[in-house]
Amino acid sequence: MAFWIELVIAGLVSGLVIGLSALSITLVFGIARFPNAATGDTMTLGAYGALIGHRITGSLIAGGILGAAAGALVGVLGYLLIFRQLARRSNVALLVASIGLGFMLRAAMGVAFGHSQSVFQLPLVRPWRLGEVPIQPNDLWLALAAGSALMVVFGVLYLTPIGRRMRAVADDAALARVSGISPDRVMIALWVLAGAVAAVAGMIAGIKTVVSPEMGWDLLLPAFSAAIFGGIGSPVGAVVAGLILGVAQEVATPFVGFTYKIALAFVVMLFVLLVRPRGLFGKLEGAR
Amino acid sequence: MEAYLVAILIITAIYVLLSLGLTLQYGLTGLINFGHVGFFCIGAYAAAILSAYAGLPVIVGFLAAIVLAGLAAFPIGLIALRLRDDYFAIVTLGFSETVRIIVTSEKQLTNGVQGIPGIPRLVDGVGILSALAVLAVLLAANGAAIYAFRRIVASPFGRMIEAIRDNEEAVKALGKDPARFKIQVLVLGAALAGLSGAFYAHYIGYVSPDQFNPLVTFYVWMAIIMGGVGRISGAIVGTALLMLFLEGSRFLRDVMPFISAVDMASIRIGAVGLALVLFTLYRPQGLMGDFTRRR
Repeated sequence: MAFWIELVIAGLVSGLVIGLSALSITLVFGIARFPNAATGDTMTLGAYGALIGHRITGSLIAGGILGAAAGALVGVLGYLLIFRQLARRSNVALLVASIGLGFMLRAAMGVAFGHSQSVFQLPLVRPWRLGEVPIQPNDLWLALAAGSALMVVFGVLYLTPIGRRMRAVADDAALARVSGISPDRVMIALWVLAGAVAAVAGMIAGIKTVVSPEMGWDLLLPAFSAAIFGGIGSPVGAVVAGLILGVAQEVATPFVGFTYKIALAFVVMLFVLLVRPRGLFGKLEGAR
Repeated sequence: MEAYLVAILIITAIYVLLSLGLTLQYGLTGLINFGHVGFFCIGAYAAAILSAYAGLPVIVGFLAAIVLAGLAAFPIGLIALRLRDDYFAIVTLGFSETVRIIVTSEKQLTNGVQGIPGIPRLVDGVGILSALAVLAVLLAANGAAIYAFRRIVASPFGRMIEAIRDNEEAVKALGKDPARFKIQVLVLGAALAGLSGAFYAHYIGYVSPDQFNPLVTFYVWMAIIMGGVGRISGAIVGTALLMLFLEGSRFLRDVMPFISAVDMASIRIGAVGLALVLFTLYRPQGLMGDFTRRR
Protein backbone atom coordinates (compact mmCIF):
# COMPACT_ATOMS: atom_id res chain seq x y z
CA MET A 1 0.00 0.00 0.00
CA ALA A 2 2.73 2.44 1.01
CA PHE A 3 4.44 1.61 -2.30
CA TRP A 4 1.41 2.72 -4.30
CA ILE A 5 0.94 5.87 -2.26
CA GLU A 6 4.57 6.74 -2.93
CA LEU A 7 3.97 6.22 -6.64
CA VAL A 8 0.91 8.47 -6.52
CA ILE A 9 2.89 11.21 -4.76
CA ALA A 10 5.68 10.93 -7.33
CA GLY A 11 2.98 11.04 -10.00
CA LEU A 12 1.45 14.19 -8.55
CA VAL A 13 4.84 15.95 -8.63
CA SER A 14 5.50 14.96 -12.25
CA GLY A 15 1.86 15.77 -12.92
CA LEU A 16 2.53 19.33 -11.79
CA VAL A 17 5.30 19.55 -14.41
CA ILE A 18 2.99 18.17 -17.10
CA GLY A 19 0.08 20.33 -15.93
CA LEU A 20 2.09 23.57 -15.94
CA SER A 21 3.56 22.88 -19.38
CA ALA A 22 0.12 21.90 -20.68
CA LEU A 23 -1.21 25.16 -19.23
CA SER A 24 1.38 27.06 -21.26
CA ILE A 25 0.40 25.16 -24.42
CA THR A 26 -3.33 25.57 -23.87
CA LEU A 27 -3.02 29.33 -23.24
CA VAL A 28 -1.15 29.79 -26.53
CA PHE A 29 -3.47 27.41 -28.36
CA GLY A 30 -6.55 29.16 -27.03
CA ILE A 31 -5.44 32.72 -27.72
CA ALA A 32 -2.77 32.67 -30.45
CA ARG A 33 -4.39 29.55 -31.97
CA PHE A 34 -1.49 27.26 -32.77
CA PRO A 35 0.27 24.38 -31.00
CA ASN A 36 3.52 25.88 -29.74
CA ALA A 37 6.23 23.26 -30.16
CA ALA A 38 8.82 25.61 -28.62
CA THR A 39 7.19 25.03 -25.21
CA GLY A 40 9.54 22.15 -24.41
CA ASP A 41 12.66 24.17 -25.08
CA THR A 42 11.26 27.12 -23.12
CA MET A 43 11.02 24.68 -20.21
CA THR A 44 14.68 23.77 -20.67
CA LEU A 45 15.55 27.45 -20.64
CA GLY A 46 13.64 27.91 -17.39
CA ALA A 47 15.54 25.01 -15.86
CA TYR A 48 18.93 26.46 -16.87
CA GLY A 49 17.88 29.94 -15.74
CA ALA A 50 16.87 28.57 -12.35
CA LEU A 51 20.07 26.52 -12.14
CA ILE A 52 22.25 29.57 -12.75
CA GLY A 53 20.18 31.75 -10.43
CA HIS A 54 20.45 29.10 -7.73
CA ARG A 55 24.22 28.78 -8.15
CA ILE A 56 24.76 32.54 -7.95
CA THR A 57 22.38 33.42 -5.14
CA GLY A 58 22.06 30.09 -3.36
CA SER A 59 18.30 30.65 -3.22
CA LEU A 60 15.87 28.47 -5.15
CA ILE A 61 13.25 31.22 -5.08
CA ALA A 62 15.62 33.71 -6.72
CA GLY A 63 16.60 30.97 -9.19
CA GLY A 64 12.96 30.29 -10.00
CA ILE A 65 12.28 33.98 -10.59
CA LEU A 66 15.28 34.25 -12.91
CA GLY A 67 14.17 31.13 -14.79
CA ALA A 68 10.61 32.42 -15.13
CA ALA A 69 11.90 35.80 -16.33
CA ALA A 70 14.06 34.07 -18.96
CA GLY A 71 11.05 32.03 -20.13
CA ALA A 72 8.85 35.14 -20.30
CA LEU A 73 11.54 37.04 -22.23
CA VAL A 74 11.91 34.28 -24.81
CA GLY A 75 8.13 34.05 -25.12
CA VAL A 76 7.81 37.78 -25.84
CA LEU A 77 10.81 37.83 -28.19
CA GLY A 78 9.43 34.84 -30.09
CA TYR A 79 6.14 36.67 -30.48
CA LEU A 80 7.64 39.99 -31.54
CA LEU A 81 10.22 38.54 -33.95
CA ILE A 82 8.35 35.57 -35.40
CA PHE A 83 4.78 34.83 -34.44
CA ARG A 84 3.41 38.35 -34.86
CA GLN A 85 4.63 38.36 -38.45
CA LEU A 86 2.80 35.10 -39.09
CA ALA A 87 -0.50 36.08 -37.47
CA ARG A 88 -2.37 36.12 -40.78
CA ARG A 89 -0.92 32.86 -42.04
CA SER A 90 -2.16 29.32 -41.48
CA ASN A 91 -1.47 27.59 -38.21
CA VAL A 92 0.87 25.24 -40.12
CA ALA A 93 3.24 28.15 -40.71
CA LEU A 94 3.11 29.05 -37.03
CA LEU A 95 3.66 25.44 -35.99
CA VAL A 96 6.67 25.02 -38.29
CA ALA A 97 8.10 28.33 -37.08
CA SER A 98 7.66 27.28 -33.44
CA ILE A 99 9.58 24.07 -34.14
CA GLY A 100 12.32 26.20 -35.69
CA LEU A 101 12.37 28.50 -32.66
CA GLY A 102 12.59 25.47 -30.38
CA PHE A 103 15.55 24.09 -32.34
CA MET A 104 17.34 27.43 -32.13
CA LEU A 105 16.78 27.62 -28.37
CA ARG A 106 18.05 24.07 -27.91
CA ALA A 107 21.10 24.75 -30.05
CA ALA A 108 21.93 27.93 -28.13
CA MET A 109 21.64 26.12 -24.81
CA GLY A 110 23.68 23.19 -26.09
CA VAL A 111 26.52 25.53 -27.08
CA ALA A 112 26.25 27.69 -23.96
CA PHE A 113 25.90 24.99 -21.31
CA GLY A 114 27.36 21.88 -22.95
CA HIS A 115 25.67 18.54 -23.34
CA SER A 116 26.54 16.99 -20.01
CA GLN A 117 23.74 16.77 -17.48
CA SER A 118 23.65 19.23 -14.59
CA VAL A 119 21.89 18.83 -11.29
CA PHE A 120 20.59 21.28 -8.71
CA GLN A 121 22.90 21.05 -5.67
CA LEU A 122 20.32 20.75 -2.93
CA PRO A 123 21.00 19.58 0.61
CA LEU A 124 19.71 16.11 1.36
CA VAL A 125 16.80 16.27 3.74
CA ARG A 126 15.52 13.35 5.76
CA PRO A 127 12.01 12.55 4.51
CA TRP A 128 9.08 12.99 6.81
CA ARG A 129 7.08 9.90 7.56
CA LEU A 130 3.32 9.77 7.43
CA GLY A 131 2.68 6.32 8.76
CA GLU A 132 4.75 4.18 6.41
CA VAL A 133 4.84 6.68 3.59
CA PRO A 134 7.98 8.81 3.26
CA ILE A 135 7.32 12.36 2.12
CA GLN A 136 10.15 14.49 0.71
CA PRO A 137 9.98 18.05 2.08
CA ASN A 138 11.37 19.19 -1.27
CA ASP A 139 8.31 17.81 -3.02
CA LEU A 140 6.14 20.01 -0.84
CA TRP A 141 8.22 23.06 -1.72
CA LEU A 142 7.94 22.23 -5.39
CA ALA A 143 4.20 21.78 -5.06
CA LEU A 144 4.08 25.16 -3.34
CA ALA A 145 6.09 26.75 -6.18
CA ALA A 146 3.81 25.18 -8.78
CA GLY A 147 0.76 26.24 -6.77
CA SER A 148 1.90 29.85 -6.60
CA ALA A 149 2.65 29.87 -10.34
CA LEU A 150 -0.87 28.57 -10.92
CA MET A 151 -2.34 31.21 -8.59
CA VAL A 152 -0.54 33.96 -10.50
CA VAL A 153 -1.78 32.67 -13.86
CA PHE A 154 -5.37 32.19 -12.74
CA GLY A 155 -5.26 35.49 -10.85
CA VAL A 156 -4.17 37.32 -13.98
CA LEU A 157 -6.68 35.46 -16.15
CA TYR A 158 -9.73 35.90 -13.97
CA LEU A 159 -9.09 38.94 -11.75
CA THR A 160 -7.37 41.54 -13.93
CA PRO A 161 -8.56 43.63 -16.89
CA ILE A 162 -5.85 42.21 -19.17
CA GLY A 163 -6.93 38.70 -18.18
CA ARG A 164 -10.50 39.53 -19.12
CA ARG A 165 -9.27 40.78 -22.49
CA MET A 166 -7.24 37.60 -22.97
CA ARG A 167 -10.29 35.48 -22.33
CA ALA A 168 -12.28 37.67 -24.71
CA VAL A 169 -9.72 37.10 -27.49
CA ALA A 170 -9.73 33.37 -26.75
CA ASP A 171 -13.51 33.35 -26.93
CA ASP A 172 -13.91 35.27 -30.17
CA ALA A 173 -10.92 37.08 -31.64
CA ALA A 174 -12.92 39.08 -34.18
CA LEU A 175 -15.48 40.21 -31.63
CA ALA A 176 -12.69 41.19 -29.23
CA ARG A 177 -11.09 43.26 -31.95
CA VAL A 178 -14.21 45.22 -32.83
CA SER A 179 -14.74 45.82 -29.11
CA GLY A 180 -11.51 47.79 -29.14
CA ILE A 181 -9.20 45.25 -27.52
CA SER A 182 -5.66 45.77 -28.77
CA PRO A 183 -4.32 42.38 -29.87
CA ASP A 184 -0.70 43.38 -29.28
CA ARG A 185 -1.04 43.99 -25.55
CA VAL A 186 -3.08 40.84 -25.07
CA MET A 187 -0.51 38.84 -26.98
CA ILE A 188 2.42 40.20 -24.99
CA ALA A 189 0.62 39.41 -21.74
CA LEU A 190 -0.10 35.94 -23.09
CA TRP A 191 3.51 35.23 -24.01
CA VAL A 192 4.81 36.54 -20.69
CA LEU A 193 2.48 34.14 -18.88
CA ALA A 194 3.01 31.20 -21.22
CA GLY A 195 6.80 31.58 -21.18
CA ALA A 196 7.04 31.97 -17.42
CA VAL A 197 4.73 29.03 -16.70
CA ALA A 198 6.67 26.75 -19.03
CA ALA A 199 9.89 27.90 -17.37
CA VAL A 200 8.59 27.07 -13.88
CA ALA A 201 7.54 23.63 -15.15
CA GLY A 202 11.06 23.15 -16.52
CA MET A 203 12.61 24.22 -13.22
CA ILE A 204 10.56 21.66 -11.28
CA ALA A 205 11.45 18.94 -13.80
CA GLY A 206 15.11 19.93 -13.50
CA ILE A 207 15.07 19.76 -9.70
CA LYS A 208 13.34 16.38 -9.72
CA THR A 209 15.66 14.85 -12.34
CA VAL A 210 18.55 16.41 -14.27
CA VAL A 211 18.97 19.46 -16.49
CA SER A 212 20.15 18.88 -20.07
CA PRO A 213 19.50 20.67 -23.37
CA GLU A 214 17.22 17.85 -24.56
CA MET A 215 15.07 17.58 -21.42
CA GLY A 216 12.29 19.86 -22.64
CA TRP A 217 11.76 18.05 -25.91
CA ASP A 218 11.15 14.79 -24.05
CA LEU A 219 8.50 16.51 -21.92
CA LEU A 220 6.69 18.02 -24.90
CA LEU A 221 4.61 14.99 -25.83
CA PRO A 222 3.05 14.47 -22.35
CA ALA A 223 2.38 18.23 -22.27
CA PHE A 224 0.52 18.21 -25.59
CA SER A 225 -1.30 15.11 -24.47
CA ALA A 226 -2.47 16.77 -21.25
CA ALA A 227 -3.48 19.96 -23.08
CA ILE A 228 -5.69 17.92 -25.43
CA PHE A 229 -6.97 15.71 -22.60
CA GLY A 230 -7.95 18.75 -20.54
CA GLY A 231 -9.63 20.39 -23.51
CA ILE A 232 -7.74 22.85 -25.69
CA GLY A 233 -8.08 26.38 -24.36
CA SER A 234 -9.14 25.29 -20.88
CA PRO A 235 -6.53 26.30 -18.25
CA VAL A 236 -8.22 24.31 -15.47
CA GLY A 237 -8.48 21.29 -17.72
CA ALA A 238 -4.78 21.41 -18.57
CA VAL A 239 -3.76 21.31 -14.90
CA VAL A 240 -6.26 18.58 -13.95
CA ALA A 241 -5.32 16.47 -16.97
CA GLY A 242 -1.63 16.97 -16.22
CA LEU A 243 -2.08 15.65 -12.69
CA ILE A 244 -4.13 12.67 -13.90
CA LEU A 245 -1.57 11.88 -16.58
CA GLY A 246 1.34 12.21 -14.14
CA VAL A 247 -0.23 9.82 -11.66
CA ALA A 248 -1.24 7.40 -14.44
CA GLN A 249 2.33 7.35 -15.76
CA GLU A 250 3.85 6.57 -12.36
CA VAL A 251 1.26 3.98 -11.39
CA ALA A 252 1.62 2.29 -14.79
CA THR A 253 5.43 2.09 -14.53
CA PRO A 254 5.52 -1.21 -12.55
CA PHE A 255 3.34 -2.79 -15.25
CA VAL A 256 4.66 -1.40 -18.53
CA GLY A 257 8.22 -0.46 -17.62
CA PHE A 258 10.01 2.84 -17.49
CA THR A 259 10.45 3.48 -21.22
CA TYR A 260 6.80 3.11 -22.10
CA LYS A 261 5.80 6.00 -19.83
CA ILE A 262 5.93 8.49 -22.70
CA ALA A 263 4.08 6.07 -24.94
CA LEU A 264 1.28 6.08 -22.38
CA ALA A 265 0.88 9.82 -22.92
CA PHE A 266 0.52 9.14 -26.64
CA VAL A 267 -2.09 6.45 -26.07
CA VAL A 268 -4.08 8.75 -23.79
CA MET A 269 -3.92 11.49 -26.42
CA LEU A 270 -5.18 9.17 -29.18
CA PHE A 271 -7.93 7.85 -26.96
CA VAL A 272 -9.15 11.33 -26.02
CA LEU A 273 -9.02 12.57 -29.62
CA LEU A 274 -11.05 9.63 -30.83
CA VAL A 275 -13.57 9.32 -28.01
CA ARG A 276 -13.99 12.81 -26.63
CA PRO A 277 -12.06 15.32 -28.74
CA ARG A 278 -13.10 18.28 -26.65
CA GLY A 279 -11.37 16.75 -23.65
CA LEU A 280 -12.45 17.18 -20.06
CA PHE A 281 -13.41 20.85 -20.03
CA GLY A 282 -13.05 22.02 -23.63
CA LYS A 283 -15.62 23.85 -25.67
CA LEU A 284 -17.40 21.84 -28.31
CA GLU A 285 -16.72 24.14 -31.24
CA GLY A 286 -13.01 24.47 -30.52
CA ALA A 287 -12.39 20.77 -30.75
CA ARG A 288 -10.43 18.80 -33.34
CA MET B 1 37.34 11.76 -53.40
CA GLU B 2 35.16 9.89 -55.91
CA ALA B 3 34.17 7.47 -53.18
CA TYR B 4 33.13 10.37 -50.97
CA LEU B 5 31.13 11.95 -53.77
CA VAL B 6 29.34 8.68 -54.49
CA ALA B 7 28.60 8.23 -50.78
CA ILE B 8 27.00 11.68 -50.61
CA LEU B 9 24.97 10.99 -53.74
CA ILE B 10 23.71 7.74 -52.22
CA ILE B 11 22.60 9.46 -49.02
CA THR B 12 21.02 12.25 -51.08
CA ALA B 13 19.10 9.70 -53.14
CA ILE B 14 17.85 8.04 -49.93
CA TYR B 15 16.66 11.41 -48.65
CA VAL B 16 15.03 12.30 -51.98
CA LEU B 17 12.79 9.24 -51.52
CA LEU B 18 11.81 10.61 -48.10
CA SER B 19 11.20 14.08 -49.53
CA LEU B 20 9.04 12.69 -52.32
CA GLY B 21 6.90 10.88 -49.77
CA LEU B 22 6.41 14.04 -47.76
CA THR B 23 5.79 16.10 -50.91
CA LEU B 24 3.00 13.71 -51.80
CA GLN B 25 1.50 14.01 -48.30
CA TYR B 26 2.02 17.66 -47.47
CA GLY B 27 2.77 19.32 -50.79
CA LEU B 28 -0.09 17.77 -52.73
CA THR B 29 -2.63 16.77 -50.10
CA GLY B 30 -1.87 19.13 -47.23
CA LEU B 31 -1.34 16.42 -44.61
CA ILE B 32 1.08 17.72 -41.98
CA ASN B 33 3.06 14.59 -41.28
CA PHE B 34 5.49 15.32 -38.44
CA GLY B 35 6.23 11.63 -37.96
CA HIS B 36 7.91 10.80 -41.25
CA VAL B 37 10.94 9.35 -39.47
CA GLY B 38 8.66 6.76 -37.82
CA PHE B 39 7.88 5.13 -41.19
CA PHE B 40 11.53 5.44 -42.21
CA CYS B 41 12.45 3.66 -38.97
CA ILE B 42 9.93 0.87 -39.53
CA GLY B 43 11.33 0.28 -43.01
CA ALA B 44 14.93 0.25 -41.82
CA TYR B 45 14.25 -2.13 -38.93
CA ALA B 46 12.10 -4.45 -41.07
CA ALA B 47 14.90 -4.75 -43.61
CA ALA B 48 17.55 -5.10 -40.89
CA ILE B 49 15.76 -7.77 -38.87
CA LEU B 50 14.75 -9.88 -41.87
CA SER B 51 18.16 -9.85 -43.52
CA ALA B 52 20.61 -9.74 -40.60
CA TYR B 53 18.66 -11.88 -38.10
CA ALA B 54 16.38 -14.07 -40.17
CA GLY B 55 18.85 -14.40 -43.03
CA LEU B 56 16.15 -13.92 -45.65
CA PRO B 57 16.99 -12.56 -49.12
CA VAL B 58 17.38 -8.79 -49.34
CA ILE B 59 14.37 -8.43 -51.63
CA VAL B 60 12.09 -9.92 -48.95
CA GLY B 61 13.34 -7.30 -46.49
CA PHE B 62 12.64 -4.53 -49.00
CA LEU B 63 9.11 -5.75 -49.65
CA ALA B 64 8.46 -6.10 -45.93
CA ALA B 65 9.82 -2.60 -45.34
CA ILE B 66 7.45 -1.11 -47.90
CA VAL B 67 4.43 -3.11 -46.77
CA LEU B 68 4.95 -2.67 -43.02
CA ALA B 69 5.57 1.08 -43.25
CA GLY B 70 2.48 1.42 -45.43
CA LEU B 71 0.41 -0.69 -43.03
CA ALA B 72 1.57 1.38 -40.07
CA ALA B 73 0.24 4.46 -41.83
CA PHE B 74 -3.21 2.96 -42.20
CA PRO B 75 -4.42 3.34 -38.59
CA ILE B 76 -2.74 6.74 -38.43
CA GLY B 77 -4.75 7.64 -41.51
CA LEU B 78 -7.99 6.44 -39.95
CA ILE B 79 -7.33 8.70 -36.99
CA ALA B 80 -6.17 11.57 -39.17
CA LEU B 81 -9.47 11.81 -40.96
CA ARG B 82 -11.16 12.83 -37.80
CA LEU B 83 -8.64 15.47 -36.75
CA ARG B 84 -7.89 19.06 -37.62
CA ASP B 85 -4.52 19.48 -39.33
CA ASP B 86 -2.56 20.80 -36.36
CA TYR B 87 -3.80 17.94 -34.16
CA PHE B 88 -2.75 15.55 -36.88
CA ALA B 89 0.76 17.04 -36.75
CA ILE B 90 1.00 16.35 -33.00
CA VAL B 91 -0.39 12.83 -33.37
CA THR B 92 2.12 11.92 -36.08
CA LEU B 93 4.95 13.40 -34.02
CA GLY B 94 3.80 11.26 -31.10
CA PHE B 95 3.63 8.26 -33.42
CA SER B 96 7.26 8.57 -34.46
CA GLU B 97 8.39 8.99 -30.86
CA THR B 98 6.38 5.91 -29.92
CA VAL B 99 8.02 3.92 -32.72
CA ARG B 100 11.39 4.96 -31.35
CA ILE B 101 10.37 3.93 -27.82
CA ILE B 102 9.21 0.55 -29.12
CA VAL B 103 12.45 -0.20 -30.99
CA THR B 104 14.39 0.90 -27.92
CA SER B 105 12.38 -1.30 -25.56
CA GLU B 106 11.69 -4.50 -27.48
CA LYS B 107 15.21 -5.81 -27.00
CA GLN B 108 14.66 -9.39 -28.13
CA LEU B 109 13.52 -8.14 -31.53
CA THR B 110 15.62 -5.02 -32.08
CA ASN B 111 18.56 -5.42 -29.69
CA GLY B 112 17.52 -2.17 -27.93
CA VAL B 113 19.89 0.78 -27.84
CA GLN B 114 22.80 -1.35 -29.09
CA GLY B 115 21.08 -1.64 -32.44
CA ILE B 116 21.44 -4.23 -35.17
CA PRO B 117 24.89 -4.51 -36.79
CA GLY B 118 25.98 -6.58 -39.75
CA ILE B 119 23.17 -5.81 -42.17
CA PRO B 120 24.32 -7.20 -45.55
CA ARG B 121 25.24 -4.75 -48.29
CA LEU B 122 23.04 -4.47 -51.34
CA VAL B 123 26.00 -5.20 -53.62
CA ASP B 124 28.96 -7.24 -52.41
CA GLY B 125 32.46 -5.82 -52.51
CA VAL B 126 34.08 -2.73 -51.10
CA GLY B 127 35.38 -0.80 -54.12
CA ILE B 128 33.86 2.18 -55.84
CA LEU B 129 32.20 -0.12 -58.37
CA SER B 130 29.93 -1.67 -55.78
CA ALA B 131 29.09 1.80 -54.44
CA LEU B 132 28.24 2.89 -57.97
CA ALA B 133 26.05 -0.17 -58.35
CA VAL B 134 24.16 0.78 -55.17
CA LEU B 135 23.79 4.29 -56.49
CA ALA B 136 22.44 2.93 -59.77
CA VAL B 137 19.81 0.87 -57.93
CA LEU B 138 18.84 3.92 -55.88
CA LEU B 139 18.63 6.15 -58.93
CA ALA B 140 16.41 3.58 -60.59
CA ALA B 141 14.17 3.55 -57.50
CA ASN B 142 14.08 7.33 -57.51
CA GLY B 143 13.31 7.36 -61.22
CA ALA B 144 10.45 4.95 -60.70
CA ALA B 145 9.14 7.00 -57.77
CA ILE B 146 9.32 10.25 -59.75
CA TYR B 147 7.62 8.61 -62.74
CA ALA B 148 4.84 7.32 -60.49
CA PHE B 149 4.61 10.73 -58.84
CA ARG B 150 4.17 12.48 -62.19
CA ARG B 151 1.52 9.98 -63.22
CA ILE B 152 -0.29 10.57 -59.95
CA VAL B 153 -0.22 14.35 -60.35
CA ALA B 154 -1.62 14.08 -63.86
CA SER B 155 -4.34 11.59 -62.93
CA PRO B 156 -7.85 12.24 -61.60
CA PHE B 157 -6.52 11.00 -58.26
CA GLY B 158 -3.87 13.76 -58.32
CA ARG B 159 -6.43 16.44 -59.11
CA MET B 160 -8.59 15.14 -56.29
CA ILE B 161 -5.89 15.24 -53.61
CA GLU B 162 -4.86 18.75 -54.66
CA ALA B 163 -8.49 19.76 -54.45
CA ILE B 164 -8.60 18.35 -50.93
CA ARG B 165 -5.60 20.48 -50.01
CA ASP B 166 -7.09 23.61 -51.54
CA ASN B 167 -10.67 23.26 -50.36
CA GLU B 168 -11.82 20.19 -48.54
CA GLU B 169 -15.37 21.46 -48.09
CA ALA B 170 -15.79 21.91 -51.85
CA VAL B 171 -14.62 18.34 -52.39
CA LYS B 172 -17.21 17.10 -49.92
CA ALA B 173 -19.86 19.21 -51.59
CA LEU B 174 -19.07 17.45 -54.87
CA GLY B 175 -19.96 14.18 -53.21
CA LYS B 176 -16.40 12.89 -52.97
CA ASP B 177 -15.09 11.43 -49.76
CA PRO B 178 -11.75 13.09 -48.88
CA ALA B 179 -11.08 10.47 -46.20
CA ARG B 180 -10.32 7.65 -48.61
CA PHE B 181 -7.90 9.77 -50.59
CA LYS B 182 -6.10 10.99 -47.49
CA ILE B 183 -5.54 7.44 -46.26
CA GLN B 184 -4.25 6.34 -49.66
CA VAL B 185 -1.83 9.27 -49.83
CA LEU B 186 -0.63 8.66 -46.30
CA VAL B 187 -0.02 4.96 -47.00
CA LEU B 188 1.77 5.74 -50.28
CA GLY B 189 4.06 8.31 -48.68
CA ALA B 190 4.78 6.02 -45.75
CA ALA B 191 5.59 3.13 -48.09
CA LEU B 192 8.06 5.39 -49.87
CA ALA B 193 9.62 6.26 -46.51
CA GLY B 194 9.78 2.53 -45.72
CA LEU B 195 11.58 1.86 -48.99
CA SER B 196 13.97 4.67 -48.16
CA GLY B 197 14.55 3.11 -44.73
CA ALA B 198 15.39 -0.28 -46.28
CA PHE B 199 17.97 1.37 -48.55
CA TYR B 200 19.36 3.24 -45.56
CA ALA B 201 19.71 0.09 -43.43
CA HIS B 202 21.43 -1.84 -46.19
CA TYR B 203 23.71 1.05 -47.08
CA ILE B 204 24.82 2.02 -43.54
CA GLY B 205 24.87 -1.63 -42.44
CA TYR B 206 23.75 -0.79 -38.92
CA VAL B 207 20.57 0.54 -37.32
CA SER B 208 20.00 1.87 -33.80
CA PRO B 209 17.14 3.92 -32.30
CA ASP B 210 19.07 7.19 -32.11
CA GLN B 211 19.36 7.32 -35.91
CA PHE B 212 15.61 7.82 -36.04
CA ASN B 213 15.00 10.85 -33.85
CA PRO B 214 12.53 13.56 -34.88
CA LEU B 215 15.37 15.69 -36.24
CA VAL B 216 15.34 13.49 -39.37
CA THR B 217 11.68 14.40 -39.95
CA PHE B 218 12.54 18.07 -39.77
CA TYR B 219 15.54 17.64 -42.06
CA VAL B 220 13.06 16.44 -44.65
CA TRP B 221 10.65 19.27 -43.83
CA MET B 222 13.50 21.73 -44.19
CA ALA B 223 14.37 20.20 -47.56
CA ILE B 224 10.88 20.49 -49.03
CA ILE B 225 10.26 23.93 -47.55
CA MET B 226 13.57 25.20 -48.94
CA GLY B 227 13.03 23.61 -52.33
CA GLY B 228 9.42 24.58 -52.71
CA VAL B 229 6.40 22.75 -51.42
CA GLY B 230 4.46 20.54 -53.79
CA ARG B 231 6.94 20.15 -56.62
CA ILE B 232 9.21 17.28 -57.59
CA SER B 233 11.96 19.71 -58.55
CA GLY B 234 11.53 21.37 -55.15
CA ALA B 235 11.95 18.06 -53.34
CA ILE B 236 15.16 17.29 -55.26
CA VAL B 237 16.72 20.76 -55.08
CA GLY B 238 15.78 21.08 -51.41
CA THR B 239 17.30 17.71 -50.57
CA ALA B 240 20.48 18.63 -52.43
CA LEU B 241 20.65 21.87 -50.42
CA LEU B 242 20.07 19.93 -47.21
CA MET B 243 22.96 17.58 -48.03
CA LEU B 244 25.18 20.51 -48.93
CA PHE B 245 24.37 21.97 -45.55
CA LEU B 246 24.82 18.73 -43.57
CA GLU B 247 28.11 17.88 -45.29
CA GLY B 248 29.24 21.49 -45.36
CA SER B 249 28.91 21.69 -41.60
CA ARG B 250 31.28 18.71 -41.46
CA PHE B 251 33.86 20.61 -43.52
CA LEU B 252 33.37 23.67 -41.35
CA ARG B 253 34.87 21.66 -38.51
CA ASP B 254 37.96 20.95 -40.59
CA VAL B 255 38.41 24.67 -41.11
CA MET B 256 37.52 25.59 -37.53
CA PRO B 257 38.73 22.68 -35.40
CA PHE B 258 38.11 24.61 -32.18
CA ILE B 259 34.40 23.81 -32.54
CA SER B 260 33.82 20.49 -30.79
CA ALA B 261 31.76 17.73 -32.37
CA VAL B 262 28.87 18.12 -29.93
CA ASP B 263 28.84 21.88 -30.43
CA MET B 264 28.72 21.29 -34.17
CA ALA B 265 25.70 19.03 -33.66
CA SER B 266 24.05 21.86 -31.73
CA ILE B 267 24.92 24.41 -34.38
CA ARG B 268 23.44 22.10 -37.01
CA ILE B 269 20.16 21.85 -35.09
CA GLY B 270 20.16 25.62 -34.67
CA ALA B 271 20.71 26.15 -38.38
CA VAL B 272 17.81 23.82 -39.20
CA GLY B 273 15.67 25.88 -36.82
CA LEU B 274 16.81 29.15 -38.34
CA ALA B 275 16.11 27.87 -41.85
CA LEU B 276 12.61 26.72 -40.86
CA VAL B 277 11.85 30.12 -39.30
CA LEU B 278 13.35 32.25 -42.08
CA PHE B 279 11.74 30.31 -44.92
CA THR B 280 8.35 30.37 -43.17
CA LEU B 281 8.68 34.11 -42.61
CA TYR B 282 10.17 35.35 -45.86
CA ARG B 283 9.90 32.71 -48.53
CA PRO B 284 6.98 30.39 -47.83
CA GLN B 285 6.89 29.31 -51.47
CA GLY B 286 10.45 27.93 -51.30
CA LEU B 287 13.23 28.48 -53.82
CA MET B 288 11.63 26.70 -56.73
CA GLY B 289 8.39 28.62 -56.56
CA ASP B 290 5.12 26.93 -55.86
CA PHE B 291 1.96 26.21 -57.73
CA THR B 292 0.05 26.15 -54.48
CA ARG B 293 -1.35 29.30 -53.00
CA ARG B 294 -0.24 31.14 -49.87
CA ARG B 295 0.20 29.01 -46.76
